[in-house]
Amino acid sequence: MAKILAIAEHKNGKLTDGTLELCKAAKAIASALGAEPAAAVLGKDDSVAKEVAKYIPLVFSVTNAALEKYTSDGYVQGVKAVVESQDVKGVLISHSYDGVDYAAKVAMAINAGIVSNCNKARIDGGAVIFTRNTYNGKIQEEKKVNTDKFVATFEKGAYDMEPAGSPGTVTAVSASIGAIRTTVKGIIETMAGAVDISQAKIIVSGGRGCKDADKYKEFIVSLAKKLGGEYGASRPVVDSGWTDAARQVGQSGKTVNPDLYIAVGISGAIQHVAGMKGAKCIVAINKDPEAPIFNIATYGIVGDLFEVIPAMLASL
Amino acid sequence: MKIAVCLKQVPDMESKFKIVDGKKIDESQIAFKINDFDNYAVEAALQLKEKLGGEVVIVTCGPDRASKDIRQAFAMGADWGIHVNDPAVESGDNFVVASVLQKAIETIGGVDLVLTGVQAEDDQAAVTGVMLADLMGLPHCTNVKKLEINGNNLTVNRELEGGFNEVIEMSAPAVLSIQSGINEPRYPTLPGIMKAKKKRLDVKKGADLGVSPKSKTDFIKMFFPVSEHKAEIIQGDPATAAAKLIEKLKTEAKVI
Repeated sequence: MAKILAIAEHKNGKLTDGTLELCKAAKAIASALGAEPAAAVLGKDDSVAKEVAKYIPLVFSVTNAALEKYTSDGYVQGVKAVVESQDVKGVLISHSYDGVDYAAKVAMAINAGIVSNCNKARIDGGAVIFTRNTYNGKIQEEKKVNTDKFVATFEKGAYDMEPAGSPGTVTAVSASIGAIRTTVKGIIETMAGAVDISQAKIIVSGGRGCKDADKYKEFIVSLAKKLGGEYGASRPVVDSGWTDAARQVGQSGKTVNPDLYIAVGISGAIQHVAGMKGAKCIVAINKDPEAPIFNIATYGIVGDLFEVIPAMLASL
Repeated sequence: MKIAVCLKQVPDMESKFKIVDGKKIDESQIAFKINDFDNYAVEAALQLKEKLGGEVVIVTCGPDRASKDIRQAFAMGADWGIHVNDPAVESGDNFVVASVLQKAIETIGGVDLVLTGVQAEDDQAAVTGVMLADLMGLPHCTNVKKLEINGNNLTVNRELEGGFNEVIEMSAPAVLSIQSGINEPRYPTLPGIMKAKKKRLDVKKGADLGVSPKSKTDFIKMFFPVSEHKAEIIQGDPATAAAKLIEKLKTEAKVI
């Protein structure tokens, strides 16, 4: 039977949440297509493959010393070996930092079309139709491949995490791993020793809408202090050097779960939302009524932050 | 060092978007600009040129309007460019664009480094740069946050989740997708803007490059997202709305 193959992502022997979401996606898509859900695990041994088998009935394990650390060349060769030796119809990969690094290369290697950064999939006439965010999340589109096989990457949270069940089978797939043209020298932490905002009960975060470093300080930092909380930022604020990287909330920064998160001048791109959607109460202040942040906020004010924040400070 | 930078022109994402027939956006009210991530790639290329010498070539697929932003990169300091202006390419997918970029870069000859942004702000795909590397047969790295070159040896930091970077070594030629925040993109100077007008810009069709790739994906439709959850929008002038919000946070949400 044709297979829908989820590629596991793991770091230091631990599976990412995205991998469990892909197991759920593989089951949903396979069941709608009349195909079989499966996973592929690449690593130096099959210990992680056995772990993945708790979530999906069929696991293909490619083991090789060269696969101990993620590299795009190693992963593409490993995935290609599984696709070529099994009847694989579709390959699912997390739209994570690693996933983005190799998914398109897998598509090229197996001559498949790729639809990336998807948040949903449905079946229509035997074809998988993918939904994805475009235009900074303001518009969605539907796409499908016109090739025999497909590759799709899914954004974090697109599916719920598959719960563990009775263990499936692990089948070894042999692959000779050839040239790997990149060498991993190590991992460094870019926020070491800095403030940790992840434990704060109240966080006020500013975005691009704050205009400059002085205004960020005058409006965002002041409101955070008045509320007895911490101040945070979206990516553009940190990129522009208005505050430290340690205060960045989102996929590439901190994940926070405060009681109150106030997002000021932040549009609500998925990368930011990934880091704060667990907040109990979310307030969005933005002049653009169509900003996606209003879709996840509890309360919203559509207005100029330079007028709204002084008014909030006056009411406190 | 000869560096090609792939640049895309995209709408300003704060524009008010209108969809025409579920197929495309209405461009009449949209302002276009350089894709933010590509701006960082241009700056990274210019800094390398200043340090090591060589030239920076801009390569763009896009309609007539895109020439404005190629010239913007010229005004920042890029030397010359190739503009593939072809409706057949414009309607193609990422694979088509990557195939055309590969051929265009091939015509430059002797390119040591290809830089792209991590993704385009409009289609948010993050696949074209990786496909381009594959088509060129070159190693690549995505989400580059730091870049050092010593002869042919590249040391790059690849951004990961949660504030971590992976340090990677590889050899040029290579394709790197540049992440925002790696540098501070410069603004064009007035003399730069004057010079930009005279810089060489070769306009080509896919046929001129001997390439007519076919899309591997089909676009079906576009639409505005329907959220199951919408924020309770607090109405009124700033003072009224702010006071109501504070009251709700105290008594309804009980979070302050």
